[in-house]
Amino acid sequence: MVYVISWDDFVERSVQLFRTSPQKTRYVMKYRHSDGKLVLKVTDDKECLKFKTDQAQDAKKMEKLNNIFFTLMARGPETDITEVTGKEQTEQPAKRGRGRKQ
Amino acid sequence: MVRLQLDPFLNELTSMFEHTTEKGSVWVTLKHSSDKSKVQRNKITTAGKELEYKCLVRATDGKKNISTLVGTKDHQRFQASYATILKARMTSLKKREKKDKRKAANVVDKKLSKTTKAMNVDKKQQVPVKRSSTANP
Repeated sequence: MVYVISWDDFVERSVQLFRTSPQKTRYVMKYRHSDGKLVLKVTDDKECLKFKTDQAQDAKKMEKLNNIFFTLMARGPETDITEVTGKEQTEQPAKRGRGRKQ
Repeated sequence: MVRLQLDPFLNELTSMFEHTTEKGSVWVTLKHSSDKSKVQRNKITTAGKELEYKCLVRATDGKKNISTLVGTKDHQRFQASYATILKARMTSLKKREKKDKRKAANVVDKKLSKTTKAMNVDKKQQVPVKRSSTANP
């Protein structure tokens, strides 16, 4: 199993893997409360990326990755994610624009 | 494999986390899927129609299997509820050790800055007294 050390590296490679084979790629999360461990796996059954941690800060980072994957998988692999927060920002200026017209 | 609607799925997922507090693991899998067999997919694509994709979410505690499909419209809401469950349940992970060291360093710094601030306060008290004396004449 390929354990990735850097979080950012894991995120970038897993998104890339999903974009390459959206039909086969799956994102698995395993949490053990008794051991206090969290393991993430992204695989397309050819290549496998894993990330393991016992740190609470990584759970927060994982939430962002969850958002990315939900968006990609629900909307389609071609969706522009710009880290999902970018999407929220693009929505806000539109609302401000409506306010000015009034 | 039990296929549930979004909210029952979230409730079942919460109970799975509750049951595995002492022993066991929770697995959650996310996959991009159209929920149709290969034959059905081929039929749809040859007919020239677009396939509708959703996010298939599966969860298990090793004994029970549950799953749900999250569509494009529901994914924001599901995402938020899912994040809330995880935040509430993933409590056995360790807090940052480096932060504790930084906190200890900050406490030391704060003590030093407090002593310097006390000296500055004395000086400030002297200044207004001088100003009032010049304003009178």
